[in-house]
This record gives sequence, structure tokens and C-alpha cells, in this order.
Amino acid sequence: MERNPMRRQLQVMRKSLFDQGYLDEQFVQLEELQDDANPNFVEEVVTLYFRDSARLILNIEQALERKPFDFNKLDGYMHQFKGSSSSIGAKRVKAESTLFREYCKSGNGEGCMRTFQQLKKEYATLRKKLEAYFQVARQAGPMETACRPK
Amino acid sequence: MCKKLVQMMQGNVWISTNSLGFAQSMTLLLRFQIQSYIQRTMYAHGTSGEQSNSYSRFRGLRVLLADDDDINRIVTKKMLEKLGCEVTAVSTGFECLSAISHAENSFRVVVLDLHMPEIDGFEVATRIRKFRSRNWPLIIALTASAEDHVRERCLQIGMNAVLQKPVLLQGMAAELQRVLHRTGDGV
Repeated sequence: MERNPMRRQLQVMRKSLFDQGYLDEQFVQLEELQDDANPNFVEEVVTLYFRDSARLILNIEQALERKPFDFNKLDGYMHQFKGSSSSIGAKRVKAESTLFREYCKSGNGEGCMRTFQQLKKEYATLRKKLEAYFQVARQAGPMETACRPK
Repeated sequence: MCKKLVQMMQGNVWISTNSLGFAQSMTLLLRFQIQSYIQRTMYAHGTSGEQSNSYSRFRGLRVLLADDDDINRIVTKKMLEKLGCEVTAVSTGFECLSAISHAENSFRVVVLDLHMPEIDGFEVATRIRKFRSRNWPLIIALTASAEDHVRERCLQIGMNAVLQKPVLLQGMAAELQRVLHRTGDGV
């Protein structure tokens, strides 16, 4: 049981992110890559992800404003977006990306737009939650080891 | 009791007293064997026995990584470095071919994302195999696709392995082990 109250809070936040399906195994992978040489690896990668993917989201948004939809282009953007989301373990965001791609493949414009709105919501929520998480993490200091959620 | 313990460790401990008979200082003498470099670096990393193995297994293996996605490239690079590899990372197919063609950079393994813009992994691998043998460099493809035909096409072109994204450390380690072992690099 973690004695340090900040670390306990961090563990609670972390468990919640996994239990509620915001993050998956891939996030644990990032934690396992963090070490003395890169003590802030997870936060750095996540920060980079939100920076890079913001551009993709904008591209998709703009593409959805041009009718008729270029489904190939949309699918291309989403393929990229899904790839990086997947690398950081963004489970819900990844699920919406998959759905979006399916709608692209079947040429369902309505489905694309609906899914994209949902995706943006999940993306924004994840961003907020992770920002809060890293804020506490920085205050709590380094954790002993990455542990798999039960 | 301390004295007994220390003496069992082939050392010694004693207290020096001053002229009035009061303890002034204590001296502890212990012998240590200087460990070999490999042993030292193994114990310096990781906590579990499993982990310390992975750090030394691929030590010094020269790997060229090509992936256009910034996040994936950073994560995969870190993963390979964690396994002990010396990694050069590039973000396009052209940079990849350029790095390989420089004689001084003899990469043992190329980890190649299949879906890159302009010139994709398939094309890069085809060109590599045109001028190089099947086993040098070894090519490990990275793909998000789980489809068989993608895998078949990779093997046909002469790639040595196909890994599905997102990649896990153990998956990468296993695949590296497999392809190196097959060519008799005896890891």
C-alpha cells in the first residue's frame, strides 16, 4: 500500500483510467520504457501525441467540410491518427477511429461525421484526464515500477 | 556479532580507542571482487531477472528504423534501445535507402514501417533486396494490418519477419531473436 498520499492519488487516477477504458496495455508499455535515461518518457510521448494529432484532427475537420467527401483521403488521415493513438494506448479514441474507418470504407458520410464528433469528445476528455494525471505524477515523484492493472 | 559477520565475509572490523580508552573511530575492511563489465551493466538495469537478460541480448546490434509517424518512431526506437540495440531512426523511405547505401553504416537489421508516404516499405525492401543478400540486412516489417496477403507479400519480397502494430517489447525481442537465430548469428 502506497504511503505517500500523492502517489496513492496517482495510483487511484491511473487505475481509474484503465478501469474506465480510456487506456489500454500499450500505455503500460510506455511506462515500461521509462527509465533513468528518460525519466519523463511517458509524459513526453503523450505530449507529442496531442501536439501531432491536433494537426490530423484539423485536416479531417477540413476534409469533412468539402462535399462530396473524399473517403480515401479521410481514411488516410484516420489511419495515421489511429496509429499514433494506438501507440500511446488511447483505447476509446482508437475505437472511434476504427469505426470512422469502417464508415469511410462503406462510403457512409453521415456515419463519418457522427463518429468524428464522438471521437473529438473522447480525445478532449482523454487529454484533460492525462494532463491532470501528469500534474500529480510530477508532484508525486517517480513510481517504483509499472504495474499491470488487475 | 558484527565482527563475526564481517570476518565471514573475509573482512575485519575494529575500534580504535584514544588514550583515555574511549572509542574514537571504527574501521571496516571488506573485500570485493571486481565484476566483469557485462555483469555490471546487466545488474545496473532493470529489476527482474527477465529484464536484465533483454538488456544484454542484443547489445551493440546496429538497427536502422524507418517510420514516418513521430510517435511510433520514438516509441519503437526507445524499445529497441531498451533491448540494447544501437538505433538510427529515419522518417522516410528515401532516408532509409540512403543510410543503407553508405558503406560505413553496416546495419544488421532494418525495422521498416510498411505504410510510409512517397515510397513505402514494400518498395524500400524490394530495392534493398535487389542489391543485398537475403540475410544482410535482416528486414523486419511493421504493419497495422493483420491480413495474410500483406504478410505473404512481405516474405515474397524478401523481408525476414512481419510484426503487427502496436509493437510490444517482448514481441520485438522475440522477433529479433528469431531472425538472428535463423541466420546463425547465434543469439
